[in-house]
Amino acid sequence: MSDLRDGQDHLHERWEPWARAILDETDHDTDLGVDIARDAQRVAAGQLDEDEFRWRYEAAYLDAFGVDERPQLADGLTRPDRDADSTAGDGEVAAADVPTVVSRRRVLAALGGAAAGALFFGELFRQGAFASTPGIGDPLPMAGAVRPGAGPGTVAPGEKLNVQYGMVIDLERCDGCLDCVQACVSENGLSEGVLWPYVFAYQEPEDVDPRYLPRLCQNCTRAPCVMVCPTGARHRRLADGLVLTDYEVCIGCRYCQVACPYGVNVFQWGDPETYGGGFEGERRDARGVAVKGDPPKGVMGKCTFCPLRQEDPDQRGTAACVDACSMDALHIGDLNDPDSPPNRHLARRREEAGGNLPTFRLLEDLGTEPNIIYIGQPPSSNAELVEGSWTYEDWGLTEDRRAVLEGPEPWFRRMTQGGRA
Amino acid sequence: MTTTTSSAADTASQVPDDGRVATILRPLGRPSWRWLVAVAVAGVGLAWFLQAWVFQLQHGLVVTNLGDWGYAGGVPWGFYVGSFIWWVGIAHGGIIVSAAVRLFRMEAFAPVARLAELLTLAALANAGLYIVLHLGRPERVVTSILPNLPQTLQTSPLAWDVVVITLYFVLTATYLTLTIRADLARSAGRLPRVFRPIYRLLLVGHRPGERPKAERMAWWLALGLIILAPFFLHGGVIPWLFALLPGQPGWFGPVQGPAFLAAALASALGAVMLLAYVFRRVYRWEQLIDEQVFRGLSRWVGLFALIFLWLQLQKLVTGLAMAPEATTAAATAMATTPTYWVALGLLAAAVAHTGYQMLAPARFHLGRTVAFAVLPLVAILLEKTLFVVEGLMYPAFDLYDGVPGSYTPSWVELSSMVGAMSIVALFLLIAVKAVPVIELDHDQQEVA
Repeated sequence: MSDLRDGQDHLHERWEPWARAILDETDHDTDLGVDIARDAQRVAAGQLDEDEFRWRYEAAYLDAFGVDERPQLADGLTRPDRDADSTAGDGEVAAADVPTVVSRRRVLAALGGAAAGALFFGELFRQGAFASTPGIGDPLPMAGAVRPGAGPGTVAPGEKLNVQYGMVIDLERCDGCLDCVQACVSENGLSEGVLWPYVFAYQEPEDVDPRYLPRLCQNCTRAPCVMVCPTGARHRRLADGLVLTDYEVCIGCRYCQVACPYGVNVFQWGDPETYGGGFEGERRDARGVAVKGDPPKGVMGKCTFCPLRQEDPDQRGTAACVDACSMDALHIGDLNDPDSPPNRHLARRREEAGGNLPTFRLLEDLGTEPNIIYIGQPPSSNAELVEGSWTYEDWGLTEDRRAVLEGPEPWFRRMTQGGRA
Repeated sequence: MTTTTSSAADTASQVPDDGRVATILRPLGRPSWRWLVAVAVAGVGLAWFLQAWVFQLQHGLVVTNLGDWGYAGGVPWGFYVGSFIWWVGIAHGGIIVSAAVRLFRMEAFAPVARLAELLTLAALANAGLYIVLHLGRPERVVTSILPNLPQTLQTSPLAWDVVVITLYFVLTATYLTLTIRADLARSAGRLPRVFRPIYRLLLVGHRPGERPKAERMAWWLALGLIILAPFFLHGGVIPWLFALLPGQPGWFGPVQGPAFLAAALASALGAVMLLAYVFRRVYRWEQLIDEQVFRGLSRWVGLFALIFLWLQLQKLVTGLAMAPEATTAAATAMATTPTYWVALGLLAAAVAHTGYQMLAPARFHLGRTVAFAVLPLVAILLEKTLFVVEGLMYPAFDLYDGVPGSYTPSWVELSSMVGAMSIVALFLLIAVKAVPVIELDHDQQEVA
């Protein structure tokens, strides 16, 4: 034990001023960086368990950056309990973690690794994030700083957030009743033919009855719509990772619409009042950004996951569509919280299914990292759209928006018609 | 025809070939009745477009035939985006011709270089106009794009487009100003008085000995432009608007860059030929713009059209042979659309005519050569609009394949092309009265 301490002290003399100089140039906590670099050397020397190293600094990371790059728990990953004995960020090694006998060769290895370790971690701090994205089942990475997006309270696409809202949609329960669509239309005052949630009714070749797939905004972590937006109007909200549009910044170029592989965006082609819409409630979220309801003329709209509700402690974890669903098919909440409604539903259904529950995310191979998890089988490429048990007309809704999107007659046509009459 | 204002300060003694210069300066100054008719026609075209645009601003983009893709079976991008691509493509003519002259010493093209540069400026202005036309909230374009540009530039191809097109415009305008200053200084006294404020502005800080330095600056600018325009504009950020999106298999993939560039160069040179032909006829510049110019340019049009056709072959073969399902669907849709084959047919005709011309040079006919060179212009406008629309109709999310879609541009959308053409016409009509549209003596240094 004393051997090790001596060796470490000797090490510190040589690399610490140099590491501090590098870290001082960054915006981040120099002491924390030095502690991490020191423990990284211990990992390199085999003196410290890698998992323990990861968990040791979690709290300090959260303090410093407010985020944690955990993979989503809803995919069935359980989060290991943090070792109660270890204290985060203090740089001290719990007695149990340190081998009592350390060979001279290992100390030399740590010495050699010191330079690389300090530089490596300094660079990671500079970048503010770890470069690789964890896959499901990969070891949990350490959290990094979150890159800000464009605009107030936003986060860049691809960043992992501590709180990431999403949904679990149970296709085995959905009966295509369109209650969710109707509720969304009333909540948001949507123009005629604008369907933010759209429920596909389809059949596989072997099917007799239709299947249903409610297609809401997937609130992707790597949202293509956010990436392509030339103004920053389309953004991810820092507080919960919801993908929203700032109605006062959007220029209506519709790049988000063509870039979204799910086709969830619906544009406001004309005056909403003229086309059976018009939202009259509070549009602004806690940041003061107008994100709610049917968008104004010339601005892009889409399913928003009821963003004002998620800020209200009384309504958090609800949405108009979710409340309306009598089949208990839609569940909204923080996918990183094991106790959120979507994760509870997922856990219960997993248990019922004996751990063998099919789940999928839509077009996952496109790399968008969507935050809706569907329970059931994905539609195959042979799936054909069919008429469902309920039609949009049954609800007084218009499915073919183009039929109601006629512009006014131009003056020359009115003149020629007037002449004929 | 038109008269030129002459004065005692005639600098003819400094000009090596006075007859040539006089011919070039002939159109300047007082308008002819034909010129007035042309301006009137273009003015009517512009007015028609403006009333259509006001109609669109009043009622919103609902007056177009655009719609929402997905369950609503429409296309959010259509004729405006197709036309935008087309105009940026035409804007390549100026720099290609100028660079050929200045960098590669292809002196034969010198007489049409400035016309091509003027066309570039007008075409780029139209490209910008089409971006604004396409927007739902055009009044926000500056206030929304600028504040977040440092962030959006990291990921948004549309932000890249705005920056590169602006850069291209500024560089081209600088280049044109540099080369035009010497000509204006030289023909001082022969220029119409009415444009004096413009000349004074263009000649700010002019010194008699600046010519060699201005030439060197123009050379470097041409070099910068010849790298920027093909590789990063039409072979870069314009196709990347589409080629980077995996959700639309008809767009995704590396072939778009080369295909866009080949299309741009074919249509740009076709446009330059058309323009040169019109000016040559109207101002009887048969001596100035030799037939060799058209022979040469038509060969390049043919070559670029051929490259474009070859890249279409690549697309069709890779899309139809054993591609992933969504890619096959997009390629099949393309291959079964008659408009696509009309476009390819027009390009093939241009290639065939070039081949014929090369085999039988004695059978050269100027009018026919220009007519065939204009075919790629028509073809590329059709093909680009189709490319935009079909990409959106066959997405990776193939459940939407069951939603029927269709799109034809509305009268408002089509009126925009009348307006854009009128803008080019008006710009050139004014330019021809104000500045020499052929460089007075490109290659010779200032005679001290």
